[in-house]
Amino acid sequence: MRDCVLVVDDDREIVKAIGILLEGEGYEVLRAYDGLQALDILATRQVRLVLIDVMMPKLDGLSAVMRIREKQNIPIIVLSAKSEDTDKVLGLSMGADDYVSKPYNPQELAARVKSQLRRYTTLGDIHAGSCADELRNGRLLYRTEEKTLYADGEPVKLTATEIGIIDLLMRNPGRVFPAEEIYRRVWGEDAFASENTVMVHIRRIREKVELNPKEPEYIKVVWGIGYKMEKQKKRN
Amino acid sequence: MDTKWKNRKKGISFIIFFAGASLTLGGGIELAQKLPGSFWRHPDKVLQDDYQQSYRFRDYISGRLEAFLAMATDSYDGYYDSYGYWDYYGYAYPGTLRDTVVEDARQLVPLEESEMSEEELEEYCRWQYDLNSGEWYDYSWQDREASLTDEQRREKRKELCIKIAQQYHDNIKKDQNLLYSVAYDGKVLYTNSDLLPTDGSLNPPEGYNFLLQYADGKVRIFKDGKELNVYGDGYYRGDSEWYVPGYRNFTVDEEMKKAVICMAVAQEPVLYMESSYARGSYRQMDNTLYWMRYNTLENRKLLIWYTTALAAGLALLVISFLCRKSKREADAAIARFTGKIWFEGKILLGLLVLYPLLLLWVTWSTQNYGDFWYEWEYMAEATMDYWFDASYIGGSFLKMLCHLPHWSYIILFWLVYLAVNDLRRNQKVWRHGLVAKLHRTFSARALRQPLSVKAARRGSAAFDAAAVFGLLMLAGGVIGYIQGHHNTETVWGIGSLFFLLLVGYLVLQYRIGAKNMELARDLETLSNRIRDIRNGDYTGNGGFAGDKNDSGEGDNSHLAGHDLEDTMARLEDIRYGMANAVDEQMKSERMKVELIANVSHDIKTPLTSIISYVQFLKEEKALPEHVQDYVKILDEKSQRLKNMVQDVFAVSKAASGELPMHMEELDFGKLLLQTLADMEEQIENSKVTFRTEIPESPVMIMADGQRMYRVFQNLFQNAIQHSLDGSRVFVTLQADGCMAVASVKNTSHLELEKDKDFTERFTRGDQSRTDGGSGLGLSIAQSFTEACGGTFSWETNADLFVVTVSFRILGN
Repeated sequence: MRDCVLVVDDDREIVKAIGILLEGEGYEVLRAYDGLQALDILATRQVRLVLIDVMMPKLDGLSAVMRIREKQNIPIIVLSAKSEDTDKVLGLSMGADDYVSKPYNPQELAARVKSQLRRYTTLGDIHAGSCADELRNGRLLYRTEEKTLYADGEPVKLTATEIGIIDLLMRNPGRVFPAEEIYRRVWGEDAFASENTVMVHIRRIREKVELNPKEPEYIKVVWGIGYKMEKQKKRN
Repeated sequence: MDTKWKNRKKGISFIIFFAGASLTLGGGIELAQKLPGSFWRHPDKVLQDDYQQSYRFRDYISGRLEAFLAMATDSYDGYYDSYGYWDYYGYAYPGTLRDTVVEDARQLVPLEESEMSEEELEEYCRWQYDLNSGEWYDYSWQDREASLTDEQRREKRKELCIKIAQQYHDNIKKDQNLLYSVAYDGKVLYTNSDLLPTDGSLNPPEGYNFLLQYADGKVRIFKDGKELNVYGDGYYRGDSEWYVPGYRNFTVDEEMKKAVICMAVAQEPVLYMESSYARGSYRQMDNTLYWMRYNTLENRKLLIWYTTALAAGLALLVISFLCRKSKREADAAIARFTGKIWFEGKILLGLLVLYPLLLLWVTWSTQNYGDFWYEWEYMAEATMDYWFDASYIGGSFLKMLCHLPHWSYIILFWLVYLAVNDLRRNQKVWRHGLVAKLHRTFSARALRQPLSVKAARRGSAAFDAAAVFGLLMLAGGVIGYIQGHHNTETVWGIGSLFFLLLVGYLVLQYRIGAKNMELARDLETLSNRIRDIRNGDYTGNGGFAGDKNDSGEGDNSHLAGHDLEDTMARLEDIRYGMANAVDEQMKSERMKVELIANVSHDIKTPLTSIISYVQFLKEEKALPEHVQDYVKILDEKSQRLKNMVQDVFAVSKAASGELPMHMEELDFGKLLLQTLADMEEQIENSKVTFRTEIPESPVMIMADGQRMYRVFQNLFQNAIQHSLDGSRVFVTLQADGCMAVASVKNTSHLELEKDKDFTERFTRGDQSRTDGGSGLGLSIAQSFTEACGGTFSWETNADLFVVTVSFRILGN
């Protein structure tokens, strides 16, 4: 059975475009053009994921998210033309799982939908039976025994150096490491110009792990200080 | 007719008021001055016309009785002389008691031994002999007397006493107002009349209504044919009427009992004089009784007069109160008249009246009051209660006030009345005058003068006043030295004149000083305000606490009339204008940000569709080649549009100061390296190479890393985009003292226009605007740097484009 995704936006062209995009990815797409319509559909149909715009007539997106959250635990991605950090924080605190600002990158949007669905369907059970050697951060899971990184439940192919960096960062989420320290601990030697080397590897990891490598959510640069693994907000 | 009557009524009512007030004042003051203290105890006796009823008379009679008793017993009790003033009788006439004593004393001094002149010797002898004890103070004189035997000395003393008694007798015997006979042991020693009854009968001779007989240690007094009760209940007390022997507790010794004294007093004493035409002088006899009666009657007359005047005055005042309306009109008419007089004229007139009054008071209060005053004072003192209980100094001041003539008070009253009337009815009387006129003329001119001229003029005025005052003081000192020191009036005149001058000078100095203080305070306020405006405080309450207002108009009312009023008002205008401008600017910035936010949102929604569908087009494989080219162009341009919308939003937010900042300590060098590493791919794909010169040691600054990353990203992108192919971009960081200075230098591939502001929004190196940038790169870089607290600058030198970003190094 195909996963059913509800797309809500008052701009019909955008709904249509997202429909085409997601149907091309193999999802079943339901369409709604305001918040009330979305709630009606949710009441009658089994929906796996909701993509919802913020500014809509009748019932705006954030209010709709709150109403949905009263009954259902399905992933919700908020889609908004507002790109301020505060807007993002507001949307996430209302109960949304992800926030994509317009104009979105189609590939990124598709990847996020996929990621959210995976985590909701496949990883729900894995999460329940997590072992002691598992380090979890958002959609990333690192098994220290295996030295394997899973993104949305799928193992990520990484080189030995990349695994070394991931090992360091996943064990210390939130802590900022200067490039010299990362180099010393991963390569095991003092480096003269470590910045570029570390950066090259981090960029490569990002391309494999991040949904949008240009706006990384996990492996971040703390400018002027170093690098860190951003701790993700845990849902529920 | 009606107005005429009205005018007349006005005049009459004022005359009534004038007479009433003057009479009340004059009568009241005179009464207050003349009423003896006994008035309050025996108000009925004040107006008595019988002088023999007075304390003064009884005192006189008992004094004489004492003296006669001494004469009768050949003793000397010192009373002769101690009559009010110690030498009232003894000193005034030639050949009097003292001279007798001195004559006597001189007999004891061998003249040939003395080197003193006659006058010196006489003076010496006066002071050496104690009349009361009849002994010498100087022991050398005592030694001379000691050569005498006791018998001789007693003899001599007796001789002296008889001499004194004889002298006294000679002095008073011709005053027939008091008849007396002094007898001892049945023998009459002294008498000035044969009219007195010698047979023991107690009938006074004709014309005499008072008779006193002393016999056997007791006194009997007959007045107007009736015997008085002298002793009361028989005991002498402080308040007993007669101080004579014969009380049960006031007796005389046996010797005194042998004396018999008879005194008769005239009902209406007359003045006795002895003229010596040969010497061209005349001699008044004792005459005390005459003056006593005269004063009593005169006082009575005066008191009646003054009481009448007071009563009449009060009655007139009541009448004037009843027609007070026309009196007020009269006051107004007077005020209209006085209002026309120049203020200086008024002052001058006032001084013309006050100055003689002052001089009069001063001389009056210091001079001797004469017989009349003496008598009055004696009476007052004898009763021992001034009805005003005052300390010595206050008392003497009050006494002085009491002794001033009543008309001086009346003049003073009317002067004050006119002045008060004038001040009350004419507003600001000092405005109408020569000085005020000149002052107005000058100040009107001064108002148009700049502050500096005013200040300078004030300074010179202070100096001029000091100089004039100094010169006058000098002149006054010289005049005073030349002739002042033995001329009391001149000293007083010059002294008071200089006092007035000093007062005037001090007032002038005070005014100048006050004006300068005011100026200093205002200057401080002014500079405070300028400082506040300089610091960006346009609220207008920086200088003062109580000056706050919301209208935006500064409250300068407290500066009204000050020198800096205009300046302050102008500054206030500037402040108000600037506050308005700043407000306007803030408002327009906010509106701009809102507008841009709305517009960018409105652009983003259609843009989302465009990008989505372009994406679908791109995935369409069946399109012809040239259509795929078109789609590619659409894709690029839509991406650029997306970037531009975001940049516009960011730069407008940064410029309005609404950008949220996350400041933290970071290493500037590392930031640059990280940014370069982040953009490595882009750099490698470009046709320029980057050269870096960044110190190994950390250069810590306080900034928002994310924003600064954006700054250098923009700068490097700029350099990559606009550099000449194959050229080098130099990125350097220098810790220059307390400042960390990063610079990015690149060689432009286009010729750089001189005097072009590259940080201006939408400014680009080329005018065609066909390259990929939004034109906001440098603008964003500058806004973000400044939002982080750093300084952003750029310069061009031929084709070299240099951007410098500097921050304060932490810890310095």
